[in-house]
Amino acid sequence: MEVELDEDGMPTIVKRETGNGKRVETIGEVWRVDDEWWRQPIVRRYVEVVLEGGGRVVLFEDVITREWWVQKP
Amino acid sequence: MTRTPRLTSDGAACCWIPLFALRCETARRPELAALPVALVGSDDTRRVWQVSPLARHAGVKSGMTVSQAIGLCPALKLCEPDPVHYDAQFSRLLAALGQVSPVIEPAELGRAYVGTDGLEGLYGAPEKIVEAIKCGMRNAECGIESESPLAHSAFNIPHSAFRVGWGIGKFVSWVAASRATPGGAVIVRSGEEGRFLAAQPLAVLPLDPDTYRRLRQLDVRTLGALAALPEEAVVSQFGRAGRRLWRLAAGRVAEPVVGRVAPEPIVAALTFFSPVCERDLLVHAIDKLIDRALGDPRRSGWRVQVVRVRAELEHAASWLAEATLKEPSADRERIAAPLKTQLERSPPAGAVERLEVEFTAFAAGATELQLFARDAQAAARAGRRRALRTAAQEIKLRLKRSLLYHVIEVQPWSRLPERRYALIDYEP
Repeated sequence: MEVELDEDGMPTIVKRETGNGKRVETIGEVWRVDDEWWRQPIVRRYVEVVLEGGGRVVLFEDVITREWWVQKP
Repeated sequence: MTRTPRLTSDGAACCWIPLFALRCETARRPELAALPVALVGSDDTRRVWQVSPLARHAGVKSGMTVSQAIGLCPALKLCEPDPVHYDAQFSRLLAALGQVSPVIEPAELGRAYVGTDGLEGLYGAPEKIVEAIKCGMRNAECGIESESPLAHSAFNIPHSAFRVGWGIGKFVSWVAASRATPGGAVIVRSGEEGRFLAAQPLAVLPLDPDTYRRLRQLDVRTLGALAALPEEAVVSQFGRAGRRLWRLAAGRVAEPVVGRVAPEPIVAALTFFSPVCERDLLVHAIDKLIDRALGDPRRSGWRVQVVRVRAELEHAASWLAEATLKEPSADRERIAAPLKTQLERSPPAGAVERLEVEFTAFAAGATELQLFARDAQAAARAGRRRALRTAAQEIKLRLKRSLLYHVIEVQPWSRLPERRYALIDYEP
């Protein structure tokens, strides 16, 4: 998925594969996960956002590949 | 008062199929044979229950958590257990053994004792009897017709999986089976028990881990070493359980195989006040009679294999319908279904004066097998599973492939949400 960021690296617009992008209204919690460093390291930055219209989504950036994903429960 | 006759036999042959449930799965889904496979537990789906040799080679062990198992063997194919299917397969095995001897005692899933007293007259020496048992199994495996009266069909597990142990008493025969090579047999002749048992490792005894550990600390590693200790010394250390262990190790216990006599046919009958020809009324009467027959105390512990309905018609005519259930059942709907079909296809030619339902053949019930569907909760679970299986088959039929998965908890503690759960193919 495509995410536009502000100067602090926080998501401002979230574009899914289908449909137009949605503006981020509120940024919630932000956290980082470093795991499995002993084999294939996983480094992620999670951002909880509320999109326009009220949808709550947890996004994460794969810090190694710089790709953004939606965390599905 | 009538007394139920007891079928017992001091001579025993233990038939053992290790990993029975897993073998049932690979027999049903041959594509699993080449994969590392594990069955998850039926009570605790977070733990692995039975493990295929390929998975064991990768370090997976029974009792491990699913996450540990996947960590050790990422290609591990996890299967959900299907206790009802294993029950049915084990019933078939017991039925095949029942062709060899009338004294059959199921011990656990995949392990049963065959009473061998008196079989010499039919088959000859112990080797011949063991061969007869294996022959029945082999025919069962291939589903072939044979000249042997022991031929059975549809028990689709390779004969190399069967191990047979022969001896006096259940314990000796079990130890002998546990020593047999795959597909082979070990015969312990009368009088040789002490020498045979003395060389066996402690693990063949029914020990709890603590007793096992304590005996190892005492440097007792074989049954011979245990039997060499004074009986009273063992009793003073381990109590009553110790006495039993010592006696088993010394070959002083020879528990007979105890079979059960299959019940006589159970009949429930109804005489109508006036002759009946409405089909709905007959169907209702059949349901009621099946209920009544199922409620007979003699049926307890047995599932119905063959059911027959007889009707006496006006003018001394009669009507008969008989059904052999593929899966023995104690469920009214399942028993009634084939009878109702026959009633639809070829109804009685006249009005019915008297209707009679008769259960003529039985298969050991789930309670008898000491398996899973022992209590009401497990039975309800089995019912739900059956309904789910039917629905899944319907979906597969429509979509040409199965799209159903079972969610299991794998690493609930993981900080990566997608690692917390895994999907297992749901194959009905």
